[in-house]
Amino acid sequence: MSIDYAGFRRELESFARSACPPEIRAVVAAGQKITKREYQAWQQILNAQGWGAPSWPREAGGTGWDIRQRLIFEEVMAENDCPPLYHHGLGHIGPVIIRFGTPDQKARFLPRILDGSDWWCQGYSEPGSGSDLASLSTSARLEGGAWVVNGQKIWTSHAHEASMIYMLVRTSKEAKKQEGISLLLVPMDTPGITVRPIKTIDGWHHLNEVFFDDVRVRADNLIGEVGKGWTCAKFLLERERLPPANVARLELMRRQVTQLVEEAAQAAAGQRDFGGLHHKLLLCEADVKGARVMMAQATDDLIHQRPLGVQPSAIKMTCADVAQRLTTIALDAVGPDAAHRFLADAGEDVPDATWIQNYMFTRARTIAGGTSEVQRNVVANELLGA
Amino acid sequence: MSASFPSLFPGMLLDAAGRYAEDHVAQEIQGDPVRELGWTATLVPEEAGGAGGTLSDLASIVEGLATHGLQLPVVETCAVVPLLLQAAGAETAHRWLEAVAEGSARIAPMTALSATPEHLAVAARHLDIGYELSGVVQGVDLTLPATHYLVPVQMDGDDAIFLVDAERVGAPKARYRTMEGRLGADFTLERLAVPESACIARGAAVREARAKATDAALLLTAADTVAALATLIRQTVIHLKERRQFGVALSSFQVLRHRVADMYVKYLGAKGLVIHCFHEYEQNAADLRRTLRLAKVSLAESARACAESAIQMHGGMGVSEEVLATRTAQRLIASEFRYGDRLMHVARLLAQPQSDERVSLSNQTGSVR
Ligand SMILES: Cc1cc2nc3c(=O)[nH]c(=O)nc-3n(C[C@H](O)[C@H](O)[C@H](O)COP(=O)(O)OP(=O)(O)OC[C@H]3O[C@@H](n4cnc5c(N)ncnc54)[C@H](O)[C@@H]3O)c2cc1C
Repeated sequence: MSIDYAGFRRELESFARSACPPEIRAVVAAGQKITKREYQAWQQILNAQGWGAPSWPREAGGTGWDIRQRLIFEEVMAENDCPPLYHHGLGHIGPVIIRFGTPDQKARFLPRILDGSDWWCQGYSEPGSGSDLASLSTSARLEGGAWVVNGQKIWTSHAHEASMIYMLVRTSKEAKKQEGISLLLVPMDTPGITVRPIKTIDGWHHLNEVFFDDVRVRADNLIGEVGKGWTCAKFLLERERLPPANVARLELMRRQVTQLVEEAAQAAAGQRDFGGLHHKLLLCEADVKGARVMMAQATDDLIHQRPLGVQPSAIKMTCADVAQRLTTIALDAVGPDAAHRFLADAGEDVPDATWIQNYMFTRARTIAGGTSEVQRNVVANELLGA
Repeated sequence: MSASFPSLFPGMLLDAAGRYAEDHVAQEIQGDPVRELGWTATLVPEEAGGAGGTLSDLASIVEGLATHGLQLPVVETCAVVPLLLQAAGAETAHRWLEAVAEGSARIAPMTALSATPEHLAVAARHLDIGYELSGVVQGVDLTLPATHYLVPVQMDGDDAIFLVDAERVGAPKARYRTMEGRLGADFTLERLAVPESACIARGAAVREARAKATDAALLLTAADTVAALATLIRQTVIHLKERRQFGVALSSFQVLRHRVADMYVKYLGAKGLVIHCFHEYEQNAADLRRTLRLAKVSLAESARACAESAIQMHGGMGVSEEVLATRTAQRLIASEFRYGDRLMHVARLLAQPQSDERVSLSNQTGSVR
């Protein structure tokens, strides 16, 4: 049966327009930071429609859509200011559980990701282990039928609003540091877990430190084989660098920034020179088009289980670069008006100043999920040998 | 390493400001340190009870604070205010400068942080008795308590400066935390009635004072940027040497070594440019304003590139406000938008390729290296 893609797009469009609440669309349209409130409400709406997991296979509760449908979905949602899907559950740990989990683990965790009742965060990085993730030292030892976790994670996005954390722990000390690491799923309300917020340059609260002090976790919350967590971690990281929404969101951002520049130029009435910004915007427009095809090809390879090679790294670098350039243009456009309004007294977002926050926030695009230097090492190793 | 970052404006003022900043950087600002430390007296002439100092003296204070990451509105309270007051008649100027020097009047300029003091946001209308002021001024620095505001205004095609009681102006319409961590406020004046005596200066003297205040603000902000750049790079170097990944110090990765080297070379260029600006200023150069605009555009470019590099090389620490390098990066980017952003200065440079913005300044000597 051939798929009517145009009809599919129309169906999505009318759904996005009618089903996504205006207050959620307003947050997305204004470029504000999307929090659990918006993500979760939207996830529940999508799930009720049967579209809770566009990237999962049907047997796991996903839509089973093909690559083209998935890209159309992402584009239509971005075009209509709907929030992206919450990546940690749907994009990261979900596929890992589908691939490596036991039937019991799938039954326990996947439905709660789909209906938005579980909120996941990622406990990988530690104070001493960032780019060198495999050197991590948070430990888990089996004691009386439970894993007992001790250590610290850092830069944990969303930990303060998450109900679950998937974390890498050291379950044994082996000669090779990648061995002896396991992937553990831990409820955030387990006694012994402390979350401390980190104040970030963007003025939003999204990062945290998470401390584990004799945290007891049921033994069957370990995914895959004991000591083989690195395989899961790599599987996950590859997906983390290939989020299907990335390019569609870039196009949304490009439209927003273009409008912002137009408004600022009008307000400045010739008193400020916008020539340079217009030029930079055109380059971004071109780069988004290129990135869109890179993304489609990589997703196709992923679906057909062909090796991805350096594509995840290349796409992550490209999207990070364009996102940073776009928010930099926004910063230049609104800076004089907004730099003094960075944060309102009452703490709410201020229009325009949101774009300065976004500029600051997107600095992390070349850091989180593997820095651009690390991605360049991956690409260079492929071209030149390690 | 300190040999790589010699002070721009060395001396006792720098040391004192540096010590103060170091001791207070982690705290909320209490009271009014700028006045308590006597810094408002720096530019006030000796006959009015001031220190009779130069812009280089003030730059020492700016450098000391920026080096340790403390944010205080020194440019606004210690340069813009006394320089604008000079526009008043001798007796009025003397009285208020004296009050500024001893800290008995806490005067803040009611000008937007993002615009030069030459930008006029307020209009005055002469009534039978007194005046009324109308206008919207966004982004006024309110980090320190103010008893009076100094308001540059446009009045019947003429220029004037008003000195208005803070109480009369009332509370701002909105308050914000600025990007660099100061307190910014938006004011809306709606036919605010002020007495006849509030108008303290008019005419050519006002234009000259505003030009001087603008030059001083641009110069001092440039000095702040260069001092902050030194701190940013110094902190980055420390981080690269101390932080270890893959069993080695980050400083062993060539890509990071080159990146920090690029930052340092940019810093040297920026420093050279700022020294050049101070020389032009001291020599009363005809081209001063054009040079200051060029510096503004160029420093913005270098400072942002360095700020972004420092954030990147700090990894996660680069986005944490607890880290001095991160806050310094924020400061550098915020400074781009103080006293005109680069798009504004580029527009002016392109509109006036030849220098015709002559500003005459009394020749002050300084110790800039
Ligand atoms: C906004 C944000 C959200 C995040 N969310 C999460 C999360 O939810 N969960 C989680 O586990 N982690 C998260 N992280 C952490 C992120 O994964 C790490 O910050 C990242 O892996 C870098 O590690 P690091 O911060 O320790 O920097 P470091 O590894 O110390 O790197 C510092 C600098 O050195 C460079 N460098 C390191 N190694 C090399 C090398 N071999 N060659 C050349 N240069 C090198 C880096 O590129 C970087 O510029 C987040 C980070 C940010 C900023």
